[in-house]
Amino acid sequence: MGKNKVKSSLESKIFTIINVVFMVSFVVVTLYPVLNTVAISFNDGIDAVRGGIYLWPRKFALKNYQTVLAMENLVTGAKVTVARTVLGTASALVVNALLAYVVSRKRFLFKSQLSLFWVITMYVNGGLIPVFLLYRNLGLTGTFWVYVVPGMVSAWNMLVLRTYMLGLPDSLEESAQLDGAGYMTIFVKIISPLCKPVYATVVLFVAVGQWNSWFDAMLYNRMKTEYTTLQYELMKLLSSVMQQSGSAAAASERGAAAAITPLTIRAAATVVTMLPIICLYPFLQRYFVTGLTIGGVKE
Amino acid sequence: MKKKVISMLLAFTMVASILAGCGGKDTGAAADTGTDTNSESSSSGEESSGAQTDAADGPVEVTDFTMFITMPGSEINSDNEIAQMIADKWGVKIKETWLTGQTAAEATGTLIASGEYPDFVDTDDMSQLVDAEALIPLDDYIDQYPEFRDTWFTKEEWDKFRQPDGHIYWINPFGNTMGESTTTTHNDEAFWIQVRVLEWAGYPDIQTLDDYFKVLEDYIAANPTMEDGTQNIAYTILCEDWRYFCLENAGQFLAGYPNDGSVLVDKETLTIGDYNTSEDTKKYLQKLNEEYNKGFVDPESFTQTYDEYIAKLSTGRVLGMVDQWWNFAYTVNDVFKQQGLDAKGCNYVPLGLTTEAGMENRWHTFDDTVNQASGVAISVDCKDPDKAFKFLVDCAMDQELHDLRYWGVEGVDYQVDENGLFYRTDEQRMQWADTSYQASHRCQYSYLPQWGGTSRDGKNANKPEEQPSEFQSDMAQPLKDCLAAYGADNYVDLIGSVVETNGPWFPMYSFSNNFTTETPGGVAWTKMGEVKHEYLPKVVMASDFDAAWEEYMEVYSSCKPEDFLGEMQEILDTFK
Amino acid sequence: MARVKAKQDRKITWKEIKRQKSLLIVAFFVTVYGIIFYYLPLAGWLMAFQNFKPKSGLLGSKFVGLDKFKFLFEDATFIRAIRNTFCMGALNLLTTTVMAILFAVLLNEIRSKIAKKTVQTISYLPHFLSWIIVTGILHDALSSTGIINDLLLRFGVIDQAINFFAYPKFFWPIVAFANCWKETGWNAIIYLAAITAIDPCLYEAASIDGASRLQKIRYITLPGIKPTIMILLLMNVGNVLNAGFEVQYLLGNGLVQKVSQTIDIYVLNWGISQNDFSLGTAAGIFKSVVSIALIVVCNQMAKRAGEERLF
Repeated sequence: MGKNKVKSSLESKIFTIINVVFMVSFVVVTLYPVLNTVAISFNDGIDAVRGGIYLWPRKFALKNYQTVLAMENLVTGAKVTVARTVLGTASALVVNALLAYVVSRKRFLFKSQLSLFWVITMYVNGGLIPVFLLYRNLGLTGTFWVYVVPGMVSAWNMLVLRTYMLGLPDSLEESAQLDGAGYMTIFVKIISPLCKPVYATVVLFVAVGQWNSWFDAMLYNRMKTEYTTLQYELMKLLSSVMQQSGSAAAASERGAAAAITPLTIRAAATVVTMLPIICLYPFLQRYFVTGLTIGGVKE
Repeated sequence: MKKKVISMLLAFTMVASILAGCGGKDTGAAADTGTDTNSESSSSGEESSGAQTDAADGPVEVTDFTMFITMPGSEINSDNEIAQMIADKWGVKIKETWLTGQTAAEATGTLIASGEYPDFVDTDDMSQLVDAEALIPLDDYIDQYPEFRDTWFTKEEWDKFRQPDGHIYWINPFGNTMGESTTTTHNDEAFWIQVRVLEWAGYPDIQTLDDYFKVLEDYIAANPTMEDGTQNIAYTILCEDWRYFCLENAGQFLAGYPNDGSVLVDKETLTIGDYNTSEDTKKYLQKLNEEYNKGFVDPESFTQTYDEYIAKLSTGRVLGMVDQWWNFAYTVNDVFKQQGLDAKGCNYVPLGLTTEAGMENRWHTFDDTVNQASGVAISVDCKDPDKAFKFLVDCAMDQELHDLRYWGVEGVDYQVDENGLFYRTDEQRMQWADTSYQASHRCQYSYLPQWGGTSRDGKNANKPEEQPSEFQSDMAQPLKDCLAAYGADNYVDLIGSVVETNGPWFPMYSFSNNFTTETPGGVAWTKMGEVKHEYLPKVVMASDFDAAWEEYMEVYSSCKPEDFLGEMQEILDTFK
Repeated sequence: MARVKAKQDRKITWKEIKRQKSLLIVAFFVTVYGIIFYYLPLAGWLMAFQNFKPKSGLLGSKFVGLDKFKFLFEDATFIRAIRNTFCMGALNLLTTTVMAILFAVLLNEIRSKIAKKTVQTISYLPHFLSWIIVTGILHDALSSTGIINDLLLRFGVIDQAINFFAYPKFFWPIVAFANCWKETGWNAIIYLAAITAIDPCLYEAASIDGASRLQKIRYITLPGIKPTIMILLLMNVGNVLNAGFEVQYLLGNGLVQKVSQTIDIYVLNWGISQNDFSLGTAAGIFKSVVSIALIVVCNQMAKRAGEERLF
């Protein structure tokens, strides 16, 4: 017994060491590229091309940020992205919540049919070309609304909300009905306040998706620079030097050597693009943990 | 359940038919507006000529146009100063959008799929746009401006632009020389080399690939890094998308042929030859392979994007490469100037290499090249086709507009001496090369009609870089020394190509660029392109060159290049 | 199903409809929306059997039967695209799952609460970054002056920087790594939740029996989360074909296109770049049908195995 204990504590120690090594390297691998990008974004452009910058800028410069923030397209993109994130998230939340509320009512006549109707959409979709033509015929292409309208209902979010709502006690609804409240009153006054945590989850999911999307901007609003998005502009920057050197704009002082290169500009734009998310997500952790657990395991 | 399925299906088919109906109606409407604009155009033709006269007194109404070009380029600020001046005087302001993040075909396809077009388009896939009925025929417009019609192209040249339906849909804006040619730069392909390398080596005589790589190798051995510690790269190759000509076609030049691009043309017998399989090309690739395995070819060569390539050249660390001047020089030279790298001898000069020493070379094209495969077109969605076309004409015909685009504002961007000759101060030159100044001040509309050669005043060049005095004073000392050492006045002298006129078929690539997959030759052409994109890098990187070459040749011949060559021969035969 | 329906049919009365008016109105509008945005595009599948020309519309275009599908299956590029999609999808699924489980199990063994929380918070970070950012970062890390070449050179593994994106053999591993980097922490959330749900008594009992930590993981933790692993695997198998666009599109280049091109990219190339809507649609249909087949098969397998089903 005693011997066993010694053995197991030794084993436990080795295990702990290995585990710590694993976790430390995991953290390094995760964080290093991000921190490296930040360091490069604060470094002088020409100097950075030589490589060898790790966690700290070698030749400090703010010029990259000045340049990036003076790019017309990037600023437009940021505005559009904020707008689509706010509008897209708000509308998606309202519609999904309403739908989830409807299908989670025990007495609702077409409960199972409506659920099935949406579950099918999770697995069957028309594909790129038919969808493109549909949007075109609906007059959505070339407009801002192509970012908001098509994504309003998502079966997955709806199911997460439904599962949560089904978990609420029926008695709440029944007693309110006895007081003469209609379905919509109950939804607004009773169910929604209780659903705040799961609402937050859905908001987070939709908002991140909206913030990060670029393909729709490239596909549907190719010619509409007024509807460009932040990620799409970033994508263009990542694959282009001309663009940025051209719109480098007023930032660089005349005559002074333009010490910006694609490398540092990209880094600065990347940091600008990810900053809001990096700042926000740690505070929203408990919401997405709830959401994922509901959505992943139960359904 | 069954019933439900059926009723659902019914509902879908109903809605589907509505959709189809909508689609039909939509396109119908588009076609209608298409004809509308056409009829308008003929009626408002007179109006526009009337508008021309009163444009002089009152302020002009500005029309904002959009333009899409499937090339990477610099977007200018919306409050760009010269763009505003042009708008004030000529009533047109164009927002240019350039290709980014997509291939040209993808971008064009997106336009067609969405059915919405910018006012002006310039893509590599013009015939696709014609098929989609996206462009308006320009014939009537061209005839409205006889002076423009007659100066811009000859009748034969215009006819080359006619599509199978007999219409002209686009105008190539490049390649026209006015008056006496003042060419100082070599606007074509060459093996380029930095002047610091030549200076270090004591300006040796470099005639063949072996000479070329020898001097690069020696230089690298003696100077592995630049002054600031950046590693020098002996030789890099760009091979992204269609720009792989930097790898692909040097064989034709090395054999002493001009840039027909897709085939060789024997001028005597008027027969088509294939440089892909030629001994010269094989030797050239073998040399690259040798250098690659010795580590002198940049390992990022085959995956770098155009932009990465430009950024790399801009650091001044690349000693040599094959490229066309227009593909790199404008951006790179501006950066060199800004960074003071030109004073360190980073500028590139062209070398007229050939397979054997002492052969004639035809790297430089002396006469105008009309490429009928691409150009600027006006789309069916154009707000005001009359005004749009008139602006194209103005670009070509109005010297004041041309000077504003290429020289800038008098007193700000250039000075005029007592003889009426334009010149720039060092400060103006520096400013002109500054990227942020370019965005806020310069507006070249570089894909609209433009001239080379001497301007209408008979003294100045149409473009500053072609002004001999400007060219001289713009050069940094090492470059001047280099040209002097070789006894050359300019790049053209240095490359030393044979002065001769090309046949009327030149360049043959303007025909092959229009091939579609509807003919066997077109299919072969597409497949050959794919195979070359894949195998040329492989051959260069191979550890066993001969085996790789064998494999490449085998795959290449399975594309049926003979179909392609046959069709090219048919085209050439029409010039007999 | 029939019984349920009968029961519901009985319930449809005017009174009930009136009572549920507001619910029905919502249901009606959402259904109309769903029909338009999710079901109507299916009508576009007709295009795959036509030589679709936008001018003539869905009803006016010529029907060509299965010609487009024939073309697809005779096109070596498409066959390669299927292979690439499957292989990369499977490789990604496998590596991300293994990494997530490994990470969850090991994280659970960390005693310090603060350390655990910190590591977990950091692990989520990449999930919130867009693929644009992730591929950009990856591109820099693997470039000739990037950290990977830097380390390899420094430790003398190689003597000249490797251009990782030039070799087809590196492409799939790079994609798999990118997926792991982005999603390990995120995917681990569910496993961690599942681990938390395991009865602590089991661990106590095992400790008393003198089980080592490894043994506890092997005999308690892993079996405890097995159902979760199974159901997530099954759910994701259906998505294997959907996981092949952004990374490949953003990281691919001419030299590796033989291994990087997926079905979605093929659709984009033919449908958009070449403007052959019919062919693009046909390729899309193929993908959808195979996806559904995969889900059904997995669902059946799960049923046989007595695990939870998806629907």
